[in-house]
Amino acid sequence: MARFLARRLLFACVLVLAVSSAALLLTRLAPGDVTAQLGAFAPREEVERTRARFGLDEGPLAQWGGWLARAARLDFGDSFLYNRPVGPLVLRAAGNTAMLGLTALALATLAGVPLGIFTGSRRGGTLPGLVRAVSLACLSLPPLLTSLAFVFVAARTGWLPAGGMTTPGAADAGWGAWVADVAWHMPLPALALALPVAATLERLQAQSMGEVAGEPFLLAAAARGLSRRRLVLRHAWPVAVRPVCAVYGLVIGALLSGSFIVEYVTAWPGLGRLMYEALVARDIYLVAACAATGGSLLAVGTFVGDVLLVAADPRVREV
Amino acid sequence: MAGLLAAGLAWRGCPPDESPEPRVSVEASPIRGGQLVASIRGEPRTFNRLAAVDQTTDLLATLMQGRLVRVNRATFELEPWLAERWDSSPDGRTHTLHLRPGLEWSDGTPFTSADVLFSVRAVFDPVVGSAAASSLKVGGRAMEAAAPDDRTVVLTYAEPSGPGLRLLDMLPILPRHVLEPALEAGTLADAWDATTPPGQIVGMGPFLLREYRPGERVVLERNPRYWRTGPDGEPLPYLDRLILEIVPDQNAELLRLQSGAIDLTNSELRADDYLPVRRAEREGTLTMVELGVSPDADGFWFCLKPEVKRADPRFAFVRTREFRQAISHAVDREAFARTVFLGEAVPVWGPVTSGNRLWFSPNLPRYPHDLDRARALLAGIGLEDRDGNGVVEDAAGTEARFTVITQRGIGYYERGTRVLAEQASLVGVALDVVPLESGAMIKRLLACDYDAIYMRPLASSLDPAGNPDYWLSSGSAHLWNMEQGKPATEWEARIDALMREQARALDPLERRTLFNEVQTVLAEQLPVLYFAAPRLYYAHNSRVRGVVPSVMRPPALWSADTLSVTDAP
Repeated sequence: MARFLARRLLFACVLVLAVSSAALLLTRLAPGDVTAQLGAFAPREEVERTRARFGLDEGPLAQWGGWLARAARLDFGDSFLYNRPVGPLVLRAAGNTAMLGLTALALATLAGVPLGIFTGSRRGGTLPGLVRAVSLACLSLPPLLTSLAFVFVAARTGWLPAGGMTTPGAADAGWGAWVADVAWHMPLPALALALPVAATLERLQAQSMGEVAGEPFLLAAAARGLSRRRLVLRHAWPVAVRPVCAVYGLVIGALLSGSFIVEYVTAWPGLGRLMYEALVARDIYLVAACAATGGSLLAVGTFVGDVLLVAADPRVREV
Repeated sequence: MAGLLAAGLAWRGCPPDESPEPRVSVEASPIRGGQLVASIRGEPRTFNRLAAVDQTTDLLATLMQGRLVRVNRATFELEPWLAERWDSSPDGRTHTLHLRPGLEWSDGTPFTSADVLFSVRAVFDPVVGSAAASSLKVGGRAMEAAAPDDRTVVLTYAEPSGPGLRLLDMLPILPRHVLEPALEAGTLADAWDATTPPGQIVGMGPFLLREYRPGERVVLERNPRYWRTGPDGEPLPYLDRLILEIVPDQNAELLRLQSGAIDLTNSELRADDYLPVRRAEREGTLTMVELGVSPDADGFWFCLKPEVKRADPRFAFVRTREFRQAISHAVDREAFARTVFLGEAVPVWGPVTSGNRLWFSPNLPRYPHDLDRARALLAGIGLEDRDGNGVVEDAAGTEARFTVITQRGIGYYERGTRVLAEQASLVGVALDVVPLESGAMIKRLLACDYDAIYMRPLASSLDPAGNPDYWLSSGSAHLWNMEQGKPATEWEARIDALMREQARALDPLERRTLFNEVQTVLAEQLPVLYFAAPRLYYAHNSRVRGVVPSVMRPPALWSADTLSVTDAP
């Protein structure tokens, strides 16, 4: 187990280093830089000052080296857009994204897996067909469209807030009120994130259930007179859940590292939106820090996925 | 150097003659209290107006800081503000300003002439390197300030200035007792950055900073020591709280406006948004206001820098005014306005549109849509379609084919370049459009690494003297050939001389005559082609009262102290 953890930790470190370094270098090498934010006709002195502050007056490799040396001391540089160190900014955004991502994950899991068991364990019928059709529709719809549609419906009906994470002044009434306010803002972005994931899990689970259905051990169990419910949940599902576990880690990583589109459209102050703004502005150290955090969360996600797979499939432990 | 800014700050003008007077949603006796939620697109990078000139910083300075005089964004008149009156010398160089008595900073410290002296010193301090400094210089030199007593300030300009005291609209007055240590230590540019605790920021504006949550909002509270009073003699502002929600996406911003989550925005509506907003207006939730014709229009120009383009065989005909005039004749401006701005635009013939009522000249040379005339002009400079491929070429076979770069993701830019390319192709000029991300476009613009560009540079001032970087050949925003050592052409030398003369002239009529001549020279030479200027519309929630909409930005919050809401507690 210790070797497994050590291997995972090493993988995470390499992943974070590679992703953040690539992000920094690609942002640096792309045409244009952060000084464009000063405007097309900004004073030359201000442009030069900004270039020096963000290391753009050095070569890309020298800048990367300097950034690595400072990052080793936990100094990840400043953001141009926010004019402050990127560390606290990214941590705060990652917290907001984690809150949203975990809610979406819970929704997707609670909806996708049971529905997948349901549709996968039945060969025909109207209801399974309907679930399949809805799943396919959710898979086909781009998150941009679903986010905009949800925001539009919220704006027209007033049933839910049309964006943002909190109402101004909500925190004044204490923690309880703040939590309730965040929960009030959560359904819209969480649903936009959860729908395609739920559909993916449903399709995967259903396919896997269908494959397991013909296995001899299930026929033997059925021959022993077990109830259908027991047959599906106690015998078929533990075997059919393995492919779901295999992708679950990636799903967790993707949700935790933030969605550009959903967070941007719903004005959720998370990592995805921060990364998008940083990329558009070529805010180089903010891009690198967001990429590093996203990479870390992806590593955490794959780790959780591996643990789940080990729990679901004893054969993996022996590998 | 400030010149033209993509951000489009500060002075803009009044609605044009043909535009309606701004509709003011006046409440007979405004209700005091309550909160108003507005949206902003970008984060505040600083609370120090000297350190940045972006729109959010400018808005926050308007809300939290004071100035000696104010240019009214609706009437364009100069108004007394912290200075209650002034006297100017006949030569227009010396201005004596008398400060209002009994004013206090938000922390209770008395406001005196020492604060004004400190602010003037800070803005011109080379260590601070304030971007606002260039807009405040006269004849390229800083103004001098003296204070005979606590309530009097004498400002002396290096030479007579046409704009006169209007320049001071750009000077934020800062608290000496708070910021002087930073100026002495050479760290004023870093003072009041985005991480500063709200309690440390002191001002004389109608609101005080209460909270800034990055990525979410800026919360401002009423300044209890604000100096202005309403018609009832009670202190302003009416609102207890003003919240600026950070909503970077314009689609989401519109939806939140429609849903009532925000009361007003800080930008005009896009042409595509008029229909849903009109529907909301019919339902009684939103109020839509026509601001008038935009003082800025989209421009199209070629790089005319001889040092860069001399080796390019196309430069031989691009540099001729007949070539540019031919393109101007080829474009049907009425159709352009209909297609690009969905009919909500007017044709224009120069950079000063009818939205800038004070400086607009209706008598400039015009180029009516005439394809035959365009072809004749091209033939006159040796450009004909010799090989029958639809593109004209010179005798050496060099085709009139150009790449036009524009900013990606902006609907009217992309529509504008498409229409322009279609219409230019009718006379044999081929334009290949390449939309670029803004950073890449700016990099190529500054290096003159392009054939042609289509974009809308916003004037930083409606007064031409406030935009020397556009008009002067040495200017950093002289779009077609920036920062020339000496004027590259005779007509640019002529414009330089006229602009310098009008900037020094004190008589408004003389200034206008001189500037009309400048516009005429530009319209004859056409270094930049302008086709249409959009009509601007603005919308706010119907619960908001006291909105005096302005074609300048911010359209409503420039007079935030007189805004109120109908459902305040």
